[in-house]
This record gives sequence, structure tokens and C-alpha cells, in this order.
Amino acid sequence: MRITNSMLVNNMIANLGKNLSRMEKYQQRLATGKKISVPSDDPVVAARALKLRTDVSQIEQYKKNVKDALSWMEITESAIADVGDILQRARELAVQASNGTTTPEDTKKICEEVKQLKNQLVNLGNATYAGRYIFSGFKTNQKLLNDDGTFAINVDNSEIIIYQIGVGDSININVTAGDFFNSGGTATAGMSGSLFEDFDDFITALDTGDYAVIDATIAKIDLQQNNLLRIRADIGARCNRLELTVNRLENDALNFTKLMSENEDIDQAENIMLLKSEENVYRASLAGGARVIQPSLVDFLK
Amino acid sequence: MNPGFFGLDIAVKGLYTAQRNLDVINHNVNNINTPGYSRQVANQSASRPIALLNGTGMLGTGSDVTGINRIRDEYLDFKYWSENKTYGEWEIKRTLLADLEATFNEPSDSGFSTMLDEFFHSLQELAKDPGSEAVRALVKEKGVTLAKYFNSMATHLEELQVDLNHQINTKVNRINSLGAQIQQLNKQIYRSELDGNVANDLRDQRTLLIDELSKLINIDVTEVVAGKLPNGREDKRMLITINGKPFVDHYDLTQLAVKQRADKLNPEEDVVNLYEVMWEDGNTLKVRGGELKGLLDVRDGNEGENGSPLYKGIPFYIKKLNEFVRTFAKAFNEGIIGSDDLEGHADGVGADNSTGVRFFTMLGIGNMPMSSDDFIAIPDCYNQLTAKNFSVSSDIINNINKIATSDTPDQIGNIENLNKLIKMRNNTHMFTEGAPEDFMKSIISTLGIDSQQAIRMSSNQQAMIRQVENQRLSESGVSMDEEMANMVKHQQAYNAAAVMINTMAEIYDILINRVGL
Repeated sequence: MRITNSMLVNNMIANLGKNLSRMEKYQQRLATGKKISVPSDDPVVAARALKLRTDVSQIEQYKKNVKDALSWMEITESAIADVGDILQRARELAVQASNGTTTPEDTKKICEEVKQLKNQLVNLGNATYAGRYIFSGFKTNQKLLNDDGTFAINVDNSEIIIYQIGVGDSININVTAGDFFNSGGTATAGMSGSLFEDFDDFITALDTGDYAVIDATIAKIDLQQNNLLRIRADIGARCNRLELTVNRLENDALNFTKLMSENEDIDQAENIMLLKSEENVYRASLAGGARVIQPSLVDFLK
Repeated sequence: MNPGFFGLDIAVKGLYTAQRNLDVINHNVNNINTPGYSRQVANQSASRPIALLNGTGMLGTGSDVTGINRIRDEYLDFKYWSENKTYGEWEIKRTLLADLEATFNEPSDSGFSTMLDEFFHSLQELAKDPGSEAVRALVKEKGVTLAKYFNSMATHLEELQVDLNHQINTKVNRINSLGAQIQQLNKQIYRSELDGNVANDLRDQRTLLIDELSKLINIDVTEVVAGKLPNGREDKRMLITINGKPFVDHYDLTQLAVKQRADKLNPEEDVVNLYEVMWEDGNTLKVRGGELKGLLDVRDGNEGENGSPLYKGIPFYIKKLNEFVRTFAKAFNEGIIGSDDLEGHADGVGADNSTGVRFFTMLGIGNMPMSSDDFIAIPDCYNQLTAKNFSVSSDIINNINKIATSDTPDQIGNIENLNKLIKMRNNTHMFTEGAPEDFMKSIISTLGIDSQQAIRMSSNQQAMIRQVENQRLSESGVSMDEEMANMVKHQQAYNAAAVMINTMAEIYDILINRVGL
């Protein structure tokens, strides 16, 4: 084949260009840390990258949701635990009042304490989380209880607040008023829940010295305690599930982030090696080009 | 016998021949870097001998330069032209698809998936605190950002389409200008060659122009023999056709023209007044190759719909974006997914107990967001939605309490409806491709694969072109070494002829000055 000067120059320019563009590719990878910068670099990697990004960002959101759900339920649980303490104290007082040895003065003191306990119960029934009433069902902006212990609003037991904690996975985070304060019934505005009825009966009995009713109160308080334990167990189970979910989400986040990195991040060591080798090729082609282009017969004619 | 000063005559011929050869070499060396130049050689032959009558035979009379020819393998030119149109087409597509990829900006932290993620995340936050005005404002803003993302994508794509339209006009003008230049050269070449010469440099120029033309549009080039000239040579005429119709026919030129379309090719996707490329004489033209085809494919390509090119160009991506906002808005507003009628935003209740509010509507008069009621009053309203006019409804923008979370009035903590909206994000029945992000993922994959194909095709074609170009240079390029060697050769021939003259002069000196005196 006949080789002409233009061919040499053209080929050298074309090859230098190719080498440079390969070097540019590795340099770009080195600078961005990514295998791809546009979808056409590798459409499969690009599509997977999109999917994984979404997955990771969704997991982050679910983690936030679970944490918020946990805080809500911790508040609920502590309110319920306080109610449990109140019930315990009320039972002790009922036992004390019912054994017939208390003087009317003692009974009066007990009555005062039970009234205080009831007020405490009303306060707990109106407990809030970040300004929202936790037992008010969907009406989180409205107080659940009036000061006398009657329900201020209707709360149906179907008013269950549900948080999304995963794709197709959700959890109810609230305890409805009726379930808790009305032994599993519903809450109706103006009416008292069974818990408050029991307290009201107790207070009236203490006022009137009706020992039969005081005696019966012990059994009623036991029933309320059973109801409370049922709800506490339920909350405990849900908290437990949330904690497991957090663990799973943490793992998922780690796994998906790792997948994302494997999918789109470069192997730095390999990339640097490749870049170095391209650099050598480029230098060699420059040196070769300089040799090839320069001399011609003109240089040797005198 | 030896006639008079015959020896001097031969030597002078030798000088002339060497000089002519040196002229040609000089011309070659001068044009070593001239694009399209093919090296020339002087045809040299021994001049007509004299028959000696005494039986000695034929006496040589020296040398003549009988012609100057360019060294050119025209087969390579044809090959170059036919590869060049494919190269032009894919080279343009490569550039344009890279533009599109930049427009979509994926995978990145500011592309579509981030917009959609953030919108749904704001809904998740709202689910946790549905009464909060701050979170409601966040949902509104993220909704507006999502809508604006589509608006800006659509605007970008439209601007690109307008830009391509101008480029098409420019290319057509260039094609016509090249045609006119070739036509002029045809005249010059034909006239110069009537007497049997070869118009080397003019032909080189013409080939160079055809090289450029072949990258712009699909052409077939032939030299038609139209009979015999009076001197017995073939009467060759240059014919360049596009799809079989003559573009440059020897001295005639039928130009191409652009005409604004009265009706859009893609009624829903195109901008108005795009150019149709046609023949100046009104005949239609279907461009089959070259940069012009690349531009037309990307400007008009809508997978063959509406008679558009069978390529995924700008209208295809606009169509896909439109499809996305229509389906998404319909699902989000009304809960209509395919044939299922679930509950959407309009079925929910806002914090102010409003119902029937559509979250997404379109931009109406003066590019102002429409209210839900105005939007619903439009017949077939969801098919009027486009990526360009997609918007959050004015109801939501003016009153964030209209964002529906509840399914029952007066229940601020009720997030039944909101939870249904949130679940739509992972509803794999929303699009044939799957969930919303699957749909976008498939658009990005399509674009990535097409762009990759364009990159590969153009680099393959470039390799082909380079190969042919190398062959052409190998055949026609000027080699400095060769020219220098020839120069030395002819210089020596010249020197030798000069010495011959000296010798002859001495002979005549003796003959004239010394003999017989």
C-alpha cells in the first residue's frame, strides 16, 4: 500500500483523538466516581440506578415514618402506664376503704384522693403528641374529655390512624378513646366511659359510705386493669414490630446503598490503573507521531 | 543522414519535458495539504521517431509530455459517498440524543425520580401530621415543583424542536448552494474537457463538494454517457439524483425548498409551522439519508405515528411525558387507574371540609393554574393535559387546607384518603410499564439505548469513512518522498539535457568555427 504524508497525519490525529477520548472517559469516571454520567454510557446500569435511588430514598422515608410512629406510641404507652398506676392506687384505696375500719374522716380523705386521681385521668385522656390529642381518633385537634370526665367528642373505634412503614406495609399507631376508656365500646359525646363511670360510682359511694358499692369497685377496677393490660400488650407488640421494622429498614438501607454503589460506582484502583495505562498509550502515540511526521526526503536533500 | 541542428532540438525537448515534469511536481508539492486534491502525473512518452531511409531504422526524436492526469480511483469516491450519508445521519443523531439525555438529566439528584420522590415524601410527612399548615405548604410546593419540572422539560423539548427546524432550513440552503456550485463546475469542466483534456483540479473541487453534499442528503452520482463528441470521445455528463429524481443534471439544477406545514404532522406534540422539505417544483421528497434525515427523524420521529419517521425523536418523548401527566393526574385526582375507579384526591376531604378538589389541573388563560371546577368543566379534560400545561390546581395553591387527607369531614387526623394517594406511588397497574417511576425508567432506558445505538453507528461509520478516506489518500494523496525523488530524477534529466546541449554546441562550434576555415 502506498503511504502518503496526509495519511500519516490524518491517522495520527485520528488515533490521538481516540486515545484522548478514552483518557477523558477514565478521567471523568475518576472525577465523578461514577461508571456512568448519561444513560447511553450503559442503559442497564442507568435503569437500575434509577430504581435503586428510588428504593433507597423510599427506605429513608419509611425509616422516618417508623421513628415518628414509635414516638407517638411511646407517648401513648406512657399515658397508659400512668393510667395503670392510677388504677393501682384506686384499687388500694378501694381495698382500704372497704375493710370497714376506716373512720369517716379517712373515707373523706380517700374520696379527695380519688377525685384527684380522676382529674389526673382526665388529663391523661387529653394527652398530646406534638399538639395532637392521641386518644381522639381522627379528631386530633379536639380534646377528648371534658373536665368532668365525659367525652367531648364522638370517637368511633374505626378511627385508626395508619402509618406507611414499607411498600404495602402499614401499622396503626393510635389507641381509640372508646377502646381504652369505655372497655372496648365507642366514645359518644356527652356520655362517660366505663372507666369514669366506675370512678364516679366510687366517689359517690365514698361520699355516702356505701360499703357494698366500694367493695364492688375493687372487681370493677380489676376489669379495667385487665382491659388496660390488653391494650398495653397490644401496644407493646406493635412497638416490638416497629423496632423489628427499623432493624429491617436499616439493613435494607445498607443493602440497597451497597447495591447502588456496586451498580454505579467505579472501582477506583482499577480505574486509576486503566487511566495510567491510557496515559502511557497516549504518550507513546505522541512520541511515535513526532517521529513519524517529521522526516521526509526533503530533510536529506542538499 | 543527420539533418542540421537535430541534436539540439532533441536536447531542448529533453529540457522542456524535464521542466514540465518539475512543474507538475511543484504543483503537487504545493497542494500536499489541499483538501480533496489528487496528485497529478505528467504523461511522458517518446516523441514520434524519424524513419531513416538508409535502412538504419527509426531514429528517436526525444520525449514529449502528452498530458497531465490526476490519479484518482473513482470507485472509492462512490464508496465514500454512499457511506458518508449514513455517517452524517448517525453523527447528527448522536449529537441530538446527547442533547436529549442532558435534558432528561438522569441518573442524577435533580432529575425526575428525585422530583417524584420528594413529592411523595411530602405526602408521607403530611400523613404523620395532617393538620400542620407547614407540612401542607410543603406538599403544595413539592407538587408545584413536580408540575414545573414537566413544564420545563416540555419547553426544553419544544425549543429543541424549533432549533432543529432552523437547522433543517440551514441544511437545505447548504444543499442548494452546493448544488449550484456543482452545477457551475459542471459547466467549467465540460467546456474544458471538450478538447480532450482532463480538468484535474476542477474535478477535484467538484469531488470535494460532492463529498460534503453526500453527508447532508442521500444522493446517487453518475456520469452519464450522452453520446459521442465530434472528436470521438464520450460525451460524459454529471448527474446527481436524490431518490431517483435529478438534483443536478449536467447544467440544470432543481433546488430543494422548505415550506411551512399548514397542519402539524404530530397534532399533539409538534410546535406550529415546522418546515416540510420538498422539491422546489412542488414535488414531495422523502429524505432517506444524510444529516438532513437525522434532523428530520429527531424533529418528527414519533414511532411512525401520523406518518412520522419510524424513529423515537422529540415528539415521541413529548408524547410520553404527556401520557405520564395524563395518567398520573387522572389516577391522583380521580383514582381512575386503567378500568378501576379507586379513590383519588377528589374523593377525599380537605382540612376545610372541601371535597371534589382536583390536586392537578392545567395552566389556563395567561398561563395561570386553572381551578378544579373549571378544569373538570372542560370536555375530555384529561386529554387536554400536556406536560407543558400540567399544573397544581389554583384551589390548592390558594388554600392549602384544600389538600384532601381525610375521607370524612371534621376529622383532621384522618389520613384514610391520603394513605390511598401515597399507595399510588407503588401501584404497578398505573402504566403498562408499571408504577410511575417504572414508566420514567423505561423512557430513560429507551433514550439511553437509542443514544448508545447512535454512538455506535456513528463510530462504526466513522471507521468506515476513515478506511475509505485512507484508501483514497493512499491512491491520490501526495507523497513528499515520492515527489522529492521524482524531483531529483527530473532535475538530473534536465541537467543531462543541458549537458547534451553543451555537447551539441561544442560539436557545432567545431563544425562551424573550425572546419573549412
